[in-house]
Amino acid sequence: MLTVEQNEELTRVGPGTPMGGLLRRYWYPIAFEQDFDSVPTKTVRLLSEDWTLFKTPKSGRYGIVAEHCPHRSASLTYGVVHEDGIRCGYHGWKWDFEGNCVEQPAEADNQNFRDRVKQRAGKAQVMGGMVWVYVGPDPAPELPRFDVFVMDGVKDCGYATLPCNWLQIMENSVDPHHVEWLHGYYFNFVGETQGFDAPKSFQKKHLKTGFEEMEWGILKRRVLEGGSEDNDDWKVGHPLVFPFYMRVGGAGIDQMQIRVPVDDTTTWKLFYSNHAPTGGQWEQQDRPVFYEYFWRDDQGRFITDYIEGQDIMAWVSQGAVTDRTQEHLGRSDAGVAMLRKMFKENMKKVANGEDPIGTVRESHDIIPLPCERDKFGAEREFAEAFITMGSMRYSPQRQQLLDLHADAWARRERANTSA
Amino acid sequence: MPDDANEGLPRVALSQLPPDPHRLPPPGAWFAPDAERHLLDRPKFCPMCAASIETHGGISTEYWMGDQRVFMTWCGECGWFGDVVRYDMVTITEEEH
Repeated sequence: MLTVEQNEELTRVGPGTPMGGLLRRYWYPIAFEQDFDSVPTKTVRLLSEDWTLFKTPKSGRYGIVAEHCPHRSASLTYGVVHEDGIRCGYHGWKWDFEGNCVEQPAEADNQNFRDRVKQRAGKAQVMGGMVWVYVGPDPAPELPRFDVFVMDGVKDCGYATLPCNWLQIMENSVDPHHVEWLHGYYFNFVGETQGFDAPKSFQKKHLKTGFEEMEWGILKRRVLEGGSEDNDDWKVGHPLVFPFYMRVGGAGIDQMQIRVPVDDTTTWKLFYSNHAPTGGQWEQQDRPVFYEYFWRDDQGRFITDYIEGQDIMAWVSQGAVTDRTQEHLGRSDAGVAMLRKMFKENMKKVANGEDPIGTVRESHDIIPLPCERDKFGAEREFAEAFITMGSMRYSPQRQQLLDLHADAWARRERANTSA
Repeated sequence: MPDDANEGLPRVALSQLPPDPHRLPPPGAWFAPDAERHLLDRPKFCPMCAASIETHGGISTEYWMGDQRVFMTWCGECGWFGDVVRYDMVTITEEEH
């Protein structure tokens, strides 16, 4: 349970807020490379501010500036993109990648005027088929190359915009018990009601859970009924990656669940997967496959016959911003309390002029993250359930992914047999 | 709520609560009494360094365990992180002996 002020402090992400100041120290995916195949600009919203993201015509360099021109606030998204910046379509004021005004066509050639107006600007880069942006203070950190985004394999990414604050989604990630209830007990109930078999691996009871602070966030561990601390679920675990990801995986699937805080009541939610099962064979993709997944039906009801749909129901039905003055936490919510402490701790670091957790200043190729290979002791069933009973069921390459895993499994079985 | 010390006592009117600069949920809110008690009972000072939890950027999250109200508390001044538990009665389960 928190106070009104604490809840607001943890959930408000706009400019000038403590959480907004912390969150602005990180890079966020905000668009797909393919969004710029036919148009050079796009309006994007991040941390309660609107931005113009643009791509230069020849070099393909990306830039990001605040959407409204400092002249008379027209949208720069409807401007002209040059190799060295963007020009407002309204009166031709031109801005470079750092937000400096370099031309004011209708004004006297007055350096003093140009130097007195500056547009807010960030940094933009491409990784994993997505355009990532940083809109915080200089010096910008390195864009963290977490393994899922750069490892070899078949990439698949579902996305949707959810009408709720990002923090209540993050708290779900340090709440392991919900798996056996929401994805186990409730999923089984939905299956019985609608006439299908829910996956059994999610129904195993938790015997023990653990939360450990680590360099990227909080490492979660669990011992399930029938298992022990020798299983991957405890021995390896998987991390909540501060401040807006969760890393999951198993059976040759590695996934980053990404929660981009668009504003106080909106989150852009992506499930970015890499499929590389041992023994599998695949062709290199030009780009990941991106697709929208669905979470409400035609009658406006939550779609809860798949795993992520159940999560989304739980997140969105709490309200646009969860009222934590009205909650009643139990011992099983210790991870949730720990996450709130981590946010407070890092807000304080930023206020003191320090880098928050997860800031990368060194150039690097890949950041590996711990993650179970054998998930829930489910082996082959886990990969199939993850694809057919998760958001990947909406993927245009769903069948190819199933075939990839089935073929890889068959190859491994043959190899084991011949050995 | 598990705090038996208040069972049977008349609910404290908002106007009778000690002066406090913090805002409360509206009186008709679903669990307003629980929110009021949280505001009154959460740890104010760090058990290690005695710094004010609030003014030094700390946080205390309340959770319930059986009859107990536990405050998972982090001090923004010294970094102490642990549970602060309010006892009404200390109970000990004896091991076989």
